[in-house]
Amino acid sequence: MLSRAAILSGQNSRALVAFARATATSPANNAAESTSSSSLPRPVRQEAGRVRYGFIPEEWFEAFYKKTGVTGPYAFAFTFSTYLVSKEIYVLEHEYYSGLSLLIMWTYGIKALGPKVAAYLDKEVDDYEKGWNQERVDEKANLEDQIKNEEKLQWSIEGQNLLIQAKRENVALQLEADYRARLLSAYQAVKSRLDYQLEKTNAERRIAQKNLVEYVIAKVKASITADQEKQNIDRCIADLALLAKA
Amino acid sequence: MGLGDYPADYNPSVHGPYDPARYYGKPDTPLSQVKLSELGSWLARRNKSPQAVAGAFSRAFWRWQHKYVLPKRSGIAPFLQLVFGSMGVFYVLNYGRISSHRNYKYH
Repeated sequence: MLSRAAILSGQNSRALVAFARATATSPANNAAESTSSSSLPRPVRQEAGRVRYGFIPEEWFEAFYKKTGVTGPYAFAFTFSTYLVSKEIYVLEHEYYSGLSLLIMWTYGIKALGPKVAAYLDKEVDDYEKGWNQERVDEKANLEDQIKNEEKLQWSIEGQNLLIQAKRENVALQLEADYRARLLSAYQAVKSRLDYQLEKTNAERRIAQKNLVEYVIAKVKASITADQEKQNIDRCIADLALLAKA
Repeated sequence: MGLGDYPADYNPSVHGPYDPARYYGKPDTPLSQVKLSELGSWLARRNKSPQAVAGAFSRAFWRWQHKYVLPKRSGIAPFLQLVFGSMGVFYVLNYGRISSHRNYKYH
């Protein structure tokens, strides 16, 4: 009886819980990590090259420094352009002057608008990158949330073990209480039957006694004749007279 | 090696992802470190086939792209370099016509 109750109240559930946990925490497939291509260096996006005057590479200036010092590149540019102009290799025709005015306009435009445009474009670049990254970040947070939930669920399932134990104790208590109640009721039933038998026997004896007494009295009364009555009364009167005399 | 193929020396399992700015052959001494006496033999060692020349220009173009155009925060430098570079190119192309605008007869 008790063992069957134990089975019903979840003796098997412990094995079920163990099975569920074994599948939930079994290691993920790590095959993707062991491929060889991930160990090779991937190209990295470079920082923008440093320039002077908006477009001349810094390296060109540095190439002069070892031989000429910091003024070398400027001296070279000045002397070389002097040579080109004085020999009219570079001809100062009308395009030169229109180019000069364009250069002034562009320089002013870049100085005036450049920082604002740069700030706006930097913000756009950051927003664009963030837009691409956000999905990954969200997905990661989501998965971490799911892992946390899973761990919490496993933890709460461990709580179920305690609950089942408590329920089992509860059932044992109920069974004990039932057993005692039935013991009591059996005792009471037997006692009431015995009491009944006792009462019955007593009543029968009483009635038999009463009937016997009545019968004897009736018989005795019937056996007394009128003579005997008269003798008796006379005797009584004589006794009373004797008593009175004494 | 046809059009659109990777260079013959490129091996994905050794070099990793393809970088169009990188030379995958055996590197020679850089031109900046060549002594004048070795310049002749250095030039003789160069591969002067049209494919190799095109490859060299392609690598130079991609090196410029990687350095000035493709960085995350590239400035106005690549555009100005393009402007001044094309100014130089077109000056050379048009030099025959421009030289007729010379102001002085004797230099």
